[in-house]
Amino acid sequence: MSAPEIFSIAQTPVTCHAFNADRSQLAVSLNDNDVQIYARQGNQWKATETLAEHDKVITSIDWAPNSNRIVTASQDRNAYVWQQTLDPVTGQMAWKPTLVLLRINRAATFVRWSPNEDKFAVASGARAIAICSFDPENNWWVARQLKKPIRSTVLSVDWHPNNVLLAAGSADMKARVFSAYIKDVDKRPSPTVWGEKLPFNTICGEYTSPAGGWVHAVGFSPSGDVLAYASHDSSVSIVYPGGPTIYNIRINSLPYVTLTWTSEDALVAAGHDCQPVVFSGSEAGWAAVGTLDDTTSGGAKAGAGARAGSVGRLNSAAFNTFRNADTRGQGQDGSGDTELLTVHQNTITSVRPFEVGADGNVARVSTTGVDGKLVIWDVGAVSAGGLAGRLGGMRI
Amino acid sequence: MVNQSHTVDIPQPLKDALRKFRFARRNQGSAAIVVKIDKSKLVMEEVEQFDNISIDDLAEELPENSPRYVVLSYELKHSDGRISFPLVLLNWAPSSSEIKMMTLHASAFLDFQNLVEVSKVIEIRDGAEGLTKEVIDAKLLA
Repeated sequence: MSAPEIFSIAQTPVTCHAFNADRSQLAVSLNDNDVQIYARQGNQWKATETLAEHDKVITSIDWAPNSNRIVTASQDRNAYVWQQTLDPVTGQMAWKPTLVLLRINRAATFVRWSPNEDKFAVASGARAIAICSFDPENNWWVARQLKKPIRSTVLSVDWHPNNVLLAAGSADMKARVFSAYIKDVDKRPSPTVWGEKLPFNTICGEYTSPAGGWVHAVGFSPSGDVLAYASHDSSVSIVYPGGPTIYNIRINSLPYVTLTWTSEDALVAAGHDCQPVVFSGSEAGWAAVGTLDDTTSGGAKAGAGARAGSVGRLNSAAFNTFRNADTRGQGQDGSGDTELLTVHQNTITSVRPFEVGADGNVARVSTTGVDGKLVIWDVGAVSAGGLAGRLGGMRI
Repeated sequence: MVNQSHTVDIPQPLKDALRKFRFARRNQGSAAIVVKIDKSKLVMEEVEQFDNISIDDLAEELPENSPRYVVLSYELKHSDGRISFPLVLLNWAPSSSEIKMMTLHASAFLDFQNLVEVSKVIEIRDGAEGLTKEVIDAKLLA
């Protein structure tokens, strides 16, 4: 149960982040047109390189661990694949970009490499997802678009371990599972719980949550048999297609915008509430277990029936100041403490697995947020506040 | 109509192969000859020939991301029961192809058409979905 490692990367929001395979380097977008590469030096991250090619804000970065390629997607409707090559002029390894023509007419919002790193999926505001693969005959990246039946911006995508299925969360309030089978790149996938014999652009499932709301984040479980999605109605839904059962967990705090699975029966979600929360369950049912952010949560607020998320934004000192002034007539006494009680001081925009433990499950996750901080959390350090008693025996 | 400049050369063996294809006697089924442009040598070359192939299989065989010229001897069944084998030129140009290849392909298309002396041309720009029996029948029977 180790304390989270906190790094203050920048004074500007961190839009997205990606680590390389051995976690010694970090690629981030600081809400501008360039990628900043940081290298770990001891307990700090030092900026080493800047990759400048995009014309507008970079919305998403992904770093392929095995082939060491970076793909960046930007609001300028393009994606670049960056490869480290030996620069003949300086004699050092330099990142060389290759343009990928996505043929979308709106911003790209999200990008992820497939598990085999031979394709990547770019979600866009053009109501389409561009699946890009490399065509060796013409030596360039080719994009095919998944269009039907998406009716609005696609906000996030996640690949299934079989390299063919893709989950997508969209602003038309639906989470969908598509087949992104590319003829010369993929071998015929074996049947899964999502279906068999799936040509390109087949819908394997379409899900929504009870109150609707944009689907901000989607994720397949490590085996690929379960799908989770977080939507703007402050709920997390877990889908078992075999059942078919959908578990919808309503939370009392602000919506989540990003999630990642840590094991087959647990996931971490984070978002506007500024703290990562762990959910756990099985085919029998799912529930929120607790938060990874335990600074002062157990103490002061425990008496108020601490629910997971009770130290979030809705209980900050600033909120309390106004509440005191309104209901209790206590004026502002100049303490002016506007700091949140959580580690992150603003929305967490991205949570990604950082370290895989000996048992194959994710042991640590990394989060970046609008406050410019990078924090690495230990997944096991869950504190459930008022729920501690009942959950004592539960394995996270 | 004289073309002043030729971007892509057509070698004599290819011209002979095309003549042979045009005058071959057909009994049944559709036959096709597929030609591509070699970008580095700027020369057209034959990729392969198919005999008695269905249109769906032909769509499977053609590459999704590269332009090709296809001379198709199509088995056309007329409404009064006759079967004829007209020659059709398919301009296979999927939009996801590389831009330089597309430009070369488009610039050399007229040359190729003059060589093969086929008047019926079908443009297929969207890949395998655009090449079906119905599309060809519609063009030929109209």
